[in-house]
Amino acid sequence: MNFLPLWRYQNQLIDGAIVTLELTVISALFGLLIGVAGAVALKGRIKSLRWLVRGYIELFRNTPSLIQIFIVFFVLPSFGLKLPAFEAAAVALSLYFGAYSVEIIRSGLDSIPRSQVEAGQCLGLSGWQVFRHIVLPPALRNAYPAVTSQFVLLLLGTSLASQVATDELFHVAGFIESRTYRSFEVYAVICIVYFAMAMSFKALFALLGAAAFRWPRRR
Amino acid sequence: MALVEIRDVHKKFGRVDVLKGVSLDVEEGEIVTIIGRSGSGKSTLLRCINALESVDAGEIRVEGEKVHARMRDLKKFRQRVGIVFQAFNLFPHLKVERNITLAPLLTGRIDKAKARALAEDVLTRVGLADKIDAWPEQLSGGQQQRVAIARCLAMAPHLMLFDEVTSALDPELVGEVLKVMEAMAKQGMTMILVTHEMGFARNVADRIVFMHQGRVWEQGPPAKLFANPETPELASFIASAK
Repeated sequence: MNFLPLWRYQNQLIDGAIVTLELTVISALFGLLIGVAGAVALKGRIKSLRWLVRGYIELFRNTPSLIQIFIVFFVLPSFGLKLPAFEAAAVALSLYFGAYSVEIIRSGLDSIPRSQVEAGQCLGLSGWQVFRHIVLPPALRNAYPAVTSQFVLLLLGTSLASQVATDELFHVAGFIESRTYRSFEVYAVICIVYFAMAMSFKALFALLGAAAFRWPRRR
Repeated sequence: MALVEIRDVHKKFGRVDVLKGVSLDVEEGEIVTIIGRSGSGKSTLLRCINALESVDAGEIRVEGEKVHARMRDLKKFRQRVGIVFQAFNLFPHLKVERNITLAPLLTGRIDKAKARALAEDVLTRVGLADKIDAWPEQLSGGQQQRVAIARCLAMAPHLMLFDEVTSALDPELVGEVLKVMEAMAKQGMTMILVTHEMGFARNVADRIVFMHQGRVWEQGPPAKLFANPETPELASFIASAK
């Protein structure tokens, strides 16, 4: 076992980790937007839109993420939409994260009792005011643990983007391994980096959650 | 003109007729208590008065204005008609002060500078001024219900509806809520209460309305109604409630 040959690749590893973080954060942000919009559509009155969202969720939750990335990167150019590797991975992972987020956010909204909405209406508040001030904060708290778990899964899932030559951490590891032939050392190191990033995010989310959702839980 | 006029109101849920032609007037300053068995339509009637349910036939007017779920000034109307629910329905993520001031602030009734003073005022009226910075979850059931009443009072309603507000409380907590309602009654607030507290109904109400099978079966002053029920249904209800 010798980790020293890896030392000269430290900059590539750092760059790879940064790309992984960028890919994760961008995909999570767009995925969350899709999630909120999808959840609102699922609870809306337009039947065809509900079916469309339901179809999207089932499609992206029941097919491999790797194939989704391949379709965006290899198939869409046949229809005139050619995206660079990073952007293609970000689009596919956003759609993947969005499909899970829709259900998570919808279940968060559903967890708020109808009586809370009625209490707001009875005080003379508008539909938007009831949603914004009464439904959304506790719904977000209820959805938060599942969203953060999904975020960590997304972080780990970004390694699939290596298959379309995105320069993220796993792709960099493959490159270093091909140069050094130190498979164990290379994969041990990036395993530790993934683990550290995941644990750091968990700790960060715990702090953010504690700061944002300060009210006591129901007994 | 009565403050609340209910004329031949019908309401169905699916195939079930819940209200079958209810007519009732409530004068300004009057305290009307609605009693009756579960399923007799008491709570549904209360929800119809506040447009939480729309009526299928007949009409309800409050201060002369016809009430229905699609009325133009529904939000303004609901600011004038407070309702307190059995399950308190405080907002768990907001402290007591914010629970009370949220609606007055958002509806433009008061500005931010006056919010705390308003919360202090209505909390003093329900005997909970020291709980202004508490979370709802830190309060007992009775205290939560008193905050819910204070939250309604903050909107300065012209009419208060109470839907079995003591039913979810432990027996030792019922008294504190009834005391607050009694004080409101003395101050001249128009109130319609659905309750199973017969003692309270007898002592505080100006008029008792007994509902049975979706209809107003019998009504009158408490002393007369409890002492001499005219129908066997009310007699049996009073006997079972003792």
